Amino acid sequence: MVFKGGVNLFDAYKIRFCNIIEEISSDTPPEVFNFTLPSEQLVKQIIVTLCPTEPWALPNWVTLGHKTTVFLDKIKELQTILFPEAKCSVVISYNETEHISAAKEYAAMNEWLEVFVIDAKYPYDDPVVLSKAILNKDINFGQDTLSRGILVFDAQTALAIHKSRILNKSVNSRFIALSGTGLKENEFINVQLGTTLEKILKNRVKETAPYRVFINGPLRGMEIKDFAQKIDWTVNDIVVLAAQDKKVMFPMINTDRLHFTTNLLGELRACVYCNFCDDICPVNLEPALYYQGYNRGEKQKVRSYDIEKCIECGLCSFACPSKIELLRIIKECKSPDVQNHEEITQ
Amino acid sequence: MKKLLNKFEPPLNKNLDRIETFIHTHGTVNFLFGAIFEAFDGLLRSSKHTAQTQPFIRNNMDTKKFMGAVLIALTIGWVLPGIYFYGWQCVISKLLVSFVVGVFAVDVIWAIIAKEDHISEGGFVSCLLVPAILPPQAPLWLIGLGAAMAIIFRNILGGVGHNLVNPALFSRLFLTICFPSLLATGYQMPFAGIPDLHTLRYGLDTITHATPLSEFKADGTITSYLSLLIGTANGSLGETCRLALILSGIWLVKMKVANWRLPVSYFGSVFIFSGMFSLLSKENVAPPVFQLLSGGLVLGAFYMITDPITATYNQKAKWIYGIGCGFITVLLRNYTTLSEGAMYAILLMNLLAIPIQSLMVKIRYRT
Repeated sequence: MVFKGGVNLFDAYKIRFCNIIEEISSDTPPEVFNFTLPSEQLVKQIIVTLCPTEPWALPNWVTLGHKTTVFLDKIKELQTILFPEAKCSVVISYNETEHISAAKEYAAMNEWLEVFVIDAKYPYDDPVVLSKAILNKDINFGQDTLSRGILVFDAQTALAIHKSRILNKSVNSRFIALSGTGLKENEFINVQLGTTLEKILKNRVKETAPYRVFINGPLRGMEIKDFAQKIDWTVNDIVVLAAQDKKVMFPMINTDRLHFTTNLLGELRACVYCNFCDDICPVNLEPALYYQGYNRGEKQKVRSYDIEKCIECGLCSFACPSKIELLRIIKECKSPDVQNHEEITQ
Repeated sequence: MKKLLNKFEPPLNKNLDRIETFIHTHGTVNFLFGAIFEAFDGLLRSSKHTAQTQPFIRNNMDTKKFMGAVLIALTIGWVLPGIYFYGWQCVISKLLVSFVVGVFAVDVIWAIIAKEDHISEGGFVSCLLVPAILPPQAPLWLIGLGAAMAIIFRNILGGVGHNLVNPALFSRLFLTICFPSLLATGYQMPFAGIPDLHTLRYGLDTITHATPLSEFKADGTITSYLSLLIGTANGSLGETCRLALILSGIWLVKMKVANWRLPVSYFGSVFIFSGMFSLLSKENVAPPVFQLLSGGLVLGAFYMITDPITATYNQKAKWIYGIGCGFITVLLRNYTTLSEGAMYAILLMNLLAIPIQSLMVKIRYRT
């Protein structure tokens, strides 16, 4: 499988985790994982992603251990009982040889199962990119994949569905990866649903410097300002970054102080059309054109440059040497206000 | 090195902070020196801005490093060979004049008048290119005028990011029109052999010679390819040592600062078109390898047409752009009275890049 663009974040951000998994319980009664099943006929294809492409995401060994066959047995039960019509694809990243060989052996005996091996490049685990690569189906970003008969979930969700639906046991905790330059130590936690962020971060962050907290990664995720927020099933990882909002002397030598912080690592300049953004774009768009159009105030025109294909992975802003907020521009031009205005003028 | 710098770090940081607050609290001082301080501070310290919207981490590459890579490549590509072939007195004095007039005078005054909050580092690249594309014996005032023209022209159009054509080449065009005799002569023979103190300072004593391209135009003599490659044949100050230019250019391509499509299409098209034309009329058209290695073609291919602002943005259009440059260069060199056409070809294609770009956008998105 050949992809254009994307970036291998594991090379850029080497994050070492402490191997011990700590358990954190909620002060209030924990919430219970609830999965509403789509109707059986709807699901034609299940995609199980065992390919975390971000270094701060939960690695497979935490949820699966080294028991690939046990996991695939559970997937088989899910498939036969809940979605008998559906085919199943398991996507594994290239470097996990142990899982790949076990899964391929398993797939040879079960024809409903297919194994796909992909590069651990961000954002190849995005549902839009995956369904294009595996099923050759075009899905727009933000569109519900279920409407096209595709169900995408990760290993932890698959196990939770199995436990709650097949074994009829309640699931009330999940694994979360905690990492970042603002923490004393990178670690995995098994946390009860409904625990507040405040409780998780207590005694774990470095109090000496200002820090910022992101849920589901600093690239695609959200910044959390209110630490009373509770952990729900959608939280995969928490990244705490040093804000680094002061000037650092000799940045060429002191790169370690700036690396993996929220610092812009440069100043806002005009676009020089260096082609970094379209080289890195995983869906082959030309983000500098959006900047050009946006600067001229032609938001409607920007929409005609295939903007709906953007999967909002943020790599264009990440790579931009002029530090232009391309993702913000794209989101603004995609917004329904611009669309409505377009319809009125037409 | 790091330990040594760590000692200076806290007092320096504190004093820079103090100067910064002083400048920002005094309106007049900020008006006059704000931009200069920002430029100087930008060399020593990182920015303090943080990412406010998604994504919250950013890549380490910024425009300063982008321009810095070009400056390093140009230093290896022409400044060091230039010192060997023409002596440091010739090269360093020109660079000093170019930087002082271009960056420290014109750009700073412009920043004060136009109330800009920073001085762009792109000016250094233009000012490093200006002496490179002028004859070795060009007088210093000519270099200063060229650097000033380049920066004024760029700033009038809106600064870095809005250039219509390459500013260094524009200033050379301006000088060619105003002082044709100064640009047609002064092509000193480069020094070859083991250098001593005298030659490292002065180079060879003022022996001028026709450039290989004008020699070919006059009587069909073809200079040896080896001397063209190493740099013992004469030409403009920065274009003679093609070997260093090619090596530093390949490094730039590897760093992804220069797009590989542009030099490949330029070299390829010059080779193919000059091959085709020389088959048709052998007497008028120079052989392909001679065309590749003579004049400012190598310098142009790696440092002029790869200027991302003046080239097209679309990657496919870059091929058309490069091939266009090659085609016009071959036409001008062989079928006109001009002996060197690379400058005119690149300037013309800079202008044509805009329609090519919009045409490619129209074809791709059907708008």
